[in-house]
Amino acid sequence: MSTPLLQVRNLSVHYTLPGPGLFARAQVLKAVSDVSFDLAAGETLGVVGETGCGKSSLGKGILQLVRPVAGEVIWQGQDLCQLDSKQLKPFRKDLQIIFQDPLSSLNPRMTVGEIIAEPLGLHQPQLSAAERDRAVDAMLERVGLRADMRSRYPNEFSGGQCQRISIARAMIVQPRVIVCDEPVSALDVSIQAQICNLLRELQRETGVALIFISHDLSIVRYMSHRVMIMYLGRVMETAPRDGFFGAARHPYSRALISAVPQPDPDQPTAGPVINLDGDLPSPVDQPSGCVFRTRCAHAIPLCIRQRPELEPLAAGHGVACHRTRELGR
Amino acid sequence: MTQPILDVQSLAVRFTTSSGAVTAVRDLSFSLHEGECLGIVGESGSGKSQTFMAALGLLADNGKATGSVRFRGEEILNAPRRVLDEIRGNRIAMIFQDALSALTPTMRIAEQMTEVLARHKGMGRKAARARAIEALEVVRIPDAARRIDSYPFELSGGMRQRAMIALATLCKPEVIIADEPTTALDVTVQSQVLRLLDGLRRHTSTSIVLITHDLAVVAGLCSRVLIMYGGRAVEYGPVRDIFRSPRHPYTQALLRSMPSMVIDPAVDLPVIPGQPPDLEHLPAGCPFAPRCAHVIDRCHSESPALERVGEGHFKACHREVSA
Repeated sequence: MSTPLLQVRNLSVHYTLPGPGLFARAQVLKAVSDVSFDLAAGETLGVVGETGCGKSSLGKGILQLVRPVAGEVIWQGQDLCQLDSKQLKPFRKDLQIIFQDPLSSLNPRMTVGEIIAEPLGLHQPQLSAAERDRAVDAMLERVGLRADMRSRYPNEFSGGQCQRISIARAMIVQPRVIVCDEPVSALDVSIQAQICNLLRELQRETGVALIFISHDLSIVRYMSHRVMIMYLGRVMETAPRDGFFGAARHPYSRALISAVPQPDPDQPTAGPVINLDGDLPSPVDQPSGCVFRTRCAHAIPLCIRQRPELEPLAAGHGVACHRTRELGR
Repeated sequence: MTQPILDVQSLAVRFTTSSGAVTAVRDLSFSLHEGECLGIVGESGSGKSQTFMAALGLLADNGKATGSVRFRGEEILNAPRRVLDEIRGNRIAMIFQDALSALTPTMRIAEQMTEVLARHKGMGRKAARARAIEALEVVRIPDAARRIDSYPFELSGGMRQRAMIALATLCKPEVIIADEPTTALDVTVQSQVLRLLDGLRRHTSTSIVLITHDLAVVAGLCSRVLIMYGGRAVEYGPVRDIFRSPRHPYTQALLRSMPSMVIDPAVDLPVIPGQPPDLEHLPAGCPFAPRCAHVIDRCHSESPALERVGEGHFKACHREVSA
């Protein structure tokens, strides 16, 4: 395998919260703990997990939109975590992001043309106004909008069209990586497939790598070459797509897959649903040992005492569970 | 066949806005039977939520409903407030997508629940509290006797949704209308909430209307489904028939465009082109015509009526298109 485009090593993102009382000590919310992965050009990594699992914080930490407290993000030989905001600027062009809520992530006072041209002004200031306009028009058409829509404002567009505008804004500087944070969750069903297909086409054409963050396993399966499952900020399992969906090994992964509703009245889920008892523990007060153990049907005393490391099972397939081997397939 | 518990005939819902009249629902007829779960599927602007807001007299001030909605044979559309007050929250209860905004933020769960019981069942404080705790236990809220004194914001999203279901079931309603009850929830919590609704239906024979944009959720829970588009019914019938052999091009395209767990991810999904309908500028004919692959001239001028295509199975399309 060629050298990865992006290497993330032991990344941790914490937030400091005010304590529960006036004089109480501040609490630390560990949103992301010790996450590592490689991303190749043209590859999509699906990052999956439920609310509060740290998947969005991971995306922001990689882009330095929040500063990680530990770990490295290696991009072209540089650790982005060590750079100040001025030093980061040239790298921002290569690493873009699109968000879940397409309308609120677009400035309502700017025309669509201005929104898409803005990154060009920042990263390629040498372009003339005419060159910039030409690039914007071409990009509008590439994402399925019309060049004459450039003078309209975001509120004149539907959710799906706004997401196309976000994609155009990200793609115009020819990035190498786009973090897609729940890019289709807020869209109508018939529009979700349109946006997914647009991202797939753009990836085939430009080789852009995607970090596709989603809670929807059916969409992740469609979009990703590899999958990473997170729970309370930690990676539970990571595997190539087919290895994951065909043979997930972590009890949490299996519960997630079992609960995905299927559009088939005779088989409304892929198999018997594995119930998870209880609720997600508080991220400021995480369980000892394995963070998943309080909801795991297979937990043993060892899981309370010791945190399982991500152990390689097969090529590219890692599982963080003490009982992987005895629980079998 | 026994009389349906809820019977909607030729319902229309219009709103007067500064830019003109908007038709949210047109010529809609369907019924809900005792003890069944009926799915109502549609995207933004399909009219699926406004249908039930109209039925329960909850339309915004600029909204007007015409047609007929009979609840156990009695007309309730545009009924006086005292009639609706006796029905709403008591005999017909609603569950909404966003539990945080549907619950009163400044009242403890206990107050919100006992208020309902005091009002509809005339129960005293102590009895009402005991009944409320029992309802929370049914939806498996751990430590219900203590959690009942929480404010809504103190509960997790899944727990809040379960508390809202408990609130809806307090008066043992005959009908529960669940509007996107699991859309904001994670997949494992979603399956808990859906199982809870299904258990309720089976054990108490409560009739359920499940309003959703997600066909997959309908497949697991409902026996019949109504597919809406642009304020109209486009297909209506038994879930099995509609998933096996959908007859309307919209239903067919919607099912094909879903990234289920059994598709081949290497092949691009077929998509429905275009945008959801703009209710202010609905086409004269079939609302789906601008996005339909099978459109003919007639579709642009003449709105197709719902016609029977099988046992209890109806479609509104001029064409015969097989999936």
